Amino acid sequence: MNDSYIYVIVALLPLAAVMLTVQVNPYNALVIRGILGGVAALVYAVLGAADVALTEALVGTMLTTTLYAVAVRSSLVMQIGVLKDELGETDDRSPFFQLIADLQTIGSKYHLRLELLPYPNPQSLHRALIEKEVHVTCIERSHEDEHDSAEIESGRQPYHTAVRIHRLYDILQTELASPATTLTYVTATDSGEKH
Amino acid sequence: MINILSYICIGVGIVFWFWGTFPLLGKRSLLFKLHSLSVADTLGSMSIIFGLLLKIPNQWSLLVLALISLAIWNTVLGYVLAYCSSSGGKHE
Amino acid sequence: MNLILIAMILALLIPIYEAWQDENIWQKMLAFASIASKTSVMILVVSVLRGDWMIGVVGVIILSVGNAGLMLLAHVIKRMNEA
Repeated sequence: MNDSYIYVIVALLPLAAVMLTVQVNPYNALVIRGILGGVAALVYAVLGAADVALTEALVGTMLTTTLYAVAVRSSLVMQIGVLKDELGETDDRSPFFQLIADLQTIGSKYHLRLELLPYPNPQSLHRALIEKEVHVTCIERSHEDEHDSAEIESGRQPYHTAVRIHRLYDILQTELASPATTLTYVTATDSGEKH
Repeated sequence: MINILSYICIGVGIVFWFWGTFPLLGKRSLLFKLHSLSVADTLGSMSIIFGLLLKIPNQWSLLVLALISLAIWNTVLGYVLAYCSSSGGKHE
Repeated sequence: MNLILIAMILALLIPIYEAWQDENIWQKMLAFASIASKTSVMILVVSVLRGDWMIGVVGVIILSVGNAGLMLLAHVIKRMNEA
């Protein structure tokens, strides 16, 4: 057992572990986790523990990587409630699309995925925000207060973005430089649970 | 004689490994790397396992299984990776 | 045989370095695929070197099943990039 290659192979394991810990992007970290699983299986097999190596390869590399992928995908998501008729617009230049594009760049900076959920009217949108179906709502101001829409269109900020998660609100407040929207923080019904 | 032949096979396999892995370091496109990796790596691994088979022929069933699974899986994996990366890259 | 294993470890270090320095996730997946097949072949070599066939069976199982996990992960990441 005192062969020199064993030391080199065992030294690969902390190398892969350090590589895993310095990753920032969660998806990259998942791939590195697979690499760590492969190296760990090799180390266990070289040290003579065949059963541990088999378990590491099957559970550590296959099962947990897939489960983590599903978990990361479903948790790192920003659900945005919008009105249904605004999704129907096809003009790429409209302020709504500008706003969504801005949100997308901010989200990709924090590895967040955007999910647009359409709602039929402003009332149901507001209820969805309060009942925690969505994290953020984007709504045109003219739908909210029943003012003359032409007057609002000439105003500077035609959209109103309501956020119910405090951390998300902090991020958006520092990063969102879009002239199209105002930003407010809304406390949902049960404010004890945050994100 | 058989021993020397098996060492030659394993040596050729390791040369193939290096040959297939070094393009991974460059700034080439993904498909170029995938091509060199799947061809040279699979051939190298199969050559190494063939060398082991020459060395210990009485466990041939296990090593032939390894050869077959290596050939099939790496080919399929090459296709799957190319398919996923090309259609995934289009949306970015 | 020791020299062969040292050369294999050197060949294994290349994709590890590649996975560390490249930021594109598909390049990382490529390095992962390379590492997965290389480690299982190394396990087979070690089992022949020692004449321990329990390790050999494990190496073959890892070789044939570990790649399936890789494909699953590739599809999940593809779905991730699409959404």
